[in-house]
Amino acid sequence: MSNDHPIAVSARKVDMAFGLGEAKVTALKQADFSARRGELIMLVGPSGCGKTTLLSVIAGTLTPQAGEIEVFGQRLDGLSQEALTAFRQKNLGFVFQSFNLIPTLTVIENVMVPLLIQGMKHSLARAKAVAILEQVGLKGREESSPNALSGGQQQRVAIARALVHEPPLLICDEPTSALDKDTGAQIMQMIRDLSRSPNRCVVVVTHDFRIFRFADRIAEMEDGRISRVVDDPSTLEIQPHL
Amino acid sequence: MYRLALNMLFGDRAKLAMLLCGLSFSALLMAQQTSVFFGIMSWTYTPVVNIRAHVWVSDPMVEQANDAKPMRDTELGRVRSVDGVAWVAPLHTSFLQARMVDGNFKLITLVGIDADSFAGAPAQITQGRIEDLRLPNTVIVDEWGAQLMGRPVKGADGKMTVVPLKPGDVFEINDIEARIVGICKVRRAFTGGPFVYTTYDRSKTYTLGARRTLSFMLAEPVAGVTPAELCDRIEKETGLKAWTTDTVIWNWSERSLAKNTFWWFWKNTGIPFSFGTAVALGLFVGIAISGQTFYSFVLENLKYFAAIKAMGASMGVLARMLIIQAVTAGLIGFGLGAGMAQAIGRVMIEKGMPPFVMFPQVLLATLALTMGISIVSAIIGIVKVSRVDAATVFRG
Repeated sequence: MSNDHPIAVSARKVDMAFGLGEAKVTALKQADFSARRGELIMLVGPSGCGKTTLLSVIAGTLTPQAGEIEVFGQRLDGLSQEALTAFRQKNLGFVFQSFNLIPTLTVIENVMVPLLIQGMKHSLARAKAVAILEQVGLKGREESSPNALSGGQQQRVAIARALVHEPPLLICDEPTSALDKDTGAQIMQMIRDLSRSPNRCVVVVTHDFRIFRFADRIAEMEDGRISRVVDDPSTLEIQPHL
Repeated sequence: MYRLALNMLFGDRAKLAMLLCGLSFSALLMAQQTSVFFGIMSWTYTPVVNIRAHVWVSDPMVEQANDAKPMRDTELGRVRSVDGVAWVAPLHTSFLQARMVDGNFKLITLVGIDADSFAGAPAQITQGRIEDLRLPNTVIVDEWGAQLMGRPVKGADGKMTVVPLKPGDVFEINDIEARIVGICKVRRAFTGGPFVYTTYDRSKTYTLGARRTLSFMLAEPVAGVTPAELCDRIEKETGLKAWTTDTVIWNWSERSLAKNTFWWFWKNTGIPFSFGTAVALGLFVGIAISGQTFYSFVLENLKYFAAIKAMGASMGVLARMLIIQAVTAGLIGFGLGAGMAQAIGRVMIEKGMPPFVMFPQVLLATLALTMGISIVSAIIGIVKVSRVDAATVFRG
């Protein structure tokens, strides 16, 4: 991974706190973070260090109290909720820890959701969903219920849903935590392959040290800020909390 | 997106069934109770329907069709002299006890009609002839009365059955013989007693020569004069009260005897309150069950709505999804409820009890209220979804 690749995501001096008075919890303290185009970067750290909050801020689902957020050239801080919603719609794909596939919809209907949110015609959305499902190896399972699939297959559906509208930024929250080692490795290989595009960046939050090898860089967080960034994941010393 | 919203709704069959139960029960209760209410209220002006004439004339103190304040027979001549009157016929109505052959007594509504013109006679004589009323001590009984006053007979199996009265059978009114010469088909009355038709003069005999027996006068306008115009003239010239007899509930004129009777019962009885309570209960149960079930549906799907929100769905899209889900459930629930009400109504109509009148307006009002329940349910869901933070999708 070359350091020459342009910056895709940057967070500068971001502050975020929840609650008031004695109940106030500071999640991010002057946090700085950056990810490059074509890169798969992992955010790691102990529980409560601010990984999820930073991910939410980058994803535009939380608005920071201070600091600057820029994603693919678009400043997110200061945008209205409507503008943030529109931004997420076009530029972000999500892979969630618990997949968040709607159980009452079929596999293909789940994958179509981001396209239909954008207002795409049902038939066109369906064609695109069929194509991406084939790409993730789920051809023939289009009409299945998500509950009828294995954990690995469900995560593949989630990846298909995250990518069907071709977003530049893919946000993955603990994508392998519900999967066994081999399935997790397969999923990470797929995500890594998908990140290999100059117009894409993948940010993965994880506790799973078994998948560190798939990262181009690893940013370690501690007490609401990035404590260090490791350029060669193989050199990362595995901490007990990781 | 909205098609998927419906698939989400139909995919959760248990919740959908519960939701439809609440909505259809509510629609059933509202439609059925309102129809029975209108059925019972339509019975209040039954005399106007059964005794047909364009204009009814009464004592000025009369408030409704069941409230006869007898007048002197000389009033007939006064009304007959009003310009625009084609003819006038006397009418007697009273509630009397009839004594059956087995010694049992039944309450009847005695109707005395003009023996010359038979004005006010029942429209449908199913057995016998109206002209036979001119024979001594004769009456025509309605079908329900024939059944009600029939003779109980023990069958071969030991069970009691009722043999309906037929022409030739006899009973007594105030110890005076009443021989049946015909059976007619008329609408049943709110006051309960079957209709027994006789001639106006004979009704005086049956009422034991009461001083005043002229309950109402039936009048017909000459060509070119409307019933309402004739009413104006009669009231102006005689000081009596004159009524039109339009019975179409949504097309009543101010002078309608049916309308005044309907509203008299509305104001002076507990019927509207009783049925209103049942309808309100239906509405309340509908809101409670459907609102709660839909809220539970939303809660169960909250993380998916949050995920959809995170993916970039605006609150407008989510609100429309919820409204489509709630309204669809409402329409199906209304269909089921109204269908059940219709089915129950058919059975009721066949049995004739209780009365059942389902106006299209009742169905429309039930639809509107069911949609109201659905919208309230959707709003509860929308408030919940609007408060969910899209960032919660990252919290496991």
